[in-house]
Amino acid sequence: MPLEKELATYARMKADLLKTHEGKFVLIHGEEFCGAYDTAENAYAEGVKRFGQEPFLVRKVLAQEEIYRNQALSLGLIHARL
Amino acid sequence: MPVFNFYHWSKDHGYTLTGSGPLISVEISIPSALKQHLAEKGLPIPAPQSGFALIDTGAFATAVDQTVFDALGVAMIDKIKTSTPHGEAESPVYPATVSFPGLELKEMPMERIVGCNLKWQTMEGKEIIMLLGRDLLQYFLLVYNGKSADVFLAY
Repeated sequence: MPLEKELATYARMKADLLKTHEGKFVLIHGEEFCGAYDTAENAYAEGVKRFGQEPFLVRKVLAQEEIYRNQALSLGLIHARL
Repeated sequence: MPVFNFYHWSKDHGYTLTGSGPLISVEISIPSALKQHLAEKGLPIPAPQSGFALIDTGAFATAVDQTVFDALGVAMIDKIKTSTPHGEAESPVYPATVSFPGLELKEMPMERIVGCNLKWQTMEGKEIIMLLGRDLLQYFLLVYNGKSADVFLAY
């Protein structure tokens, strides 16, 4: 599964990251925490610079994880024909 | 302030705003950092993917059809929980560069786009590849005039 290692690393480090980097975007490659950045763009640029096209995680450190809600899409109403 | 006006489309194509929704042409390409990396390595740079974006005030984040990222060869950088009628699931998150040719708005970096299966064609044959959510709409002025089937979008 893509990013499995990185997501496990984030989950393991989350409590500490919330104390030190809440609101920042962290870059994680495998089990390595590579840094925290003010923007996702900067974190991604650093990830590409260091790891090229290898998988890496860029995530905003938040106590409450975001949930993508789009009722019209999930209910199929976006392209419904009445 | 440049203004993109959908009036010509709504009026000239049978006032399709209710049926198709407010659409804007969109071009999605790889993030600039990846473009630079590929250029440095002498690797081919994938061609941008074109289609239409449906303005979706109900979506907090912008979403793009998964096949667009597959065609661009962009790797996911995160996952986000998604709420569906069958409960919670997860969707991949991708970075991309987004341009709106009609607005003359070019190469906006977007680092958090949700990938999902949303591609479809309107009755006029326009292919929707993006749901333009509130993360982008926060930078725009949007006026939806259902009465006259006009949409004004400005930035």
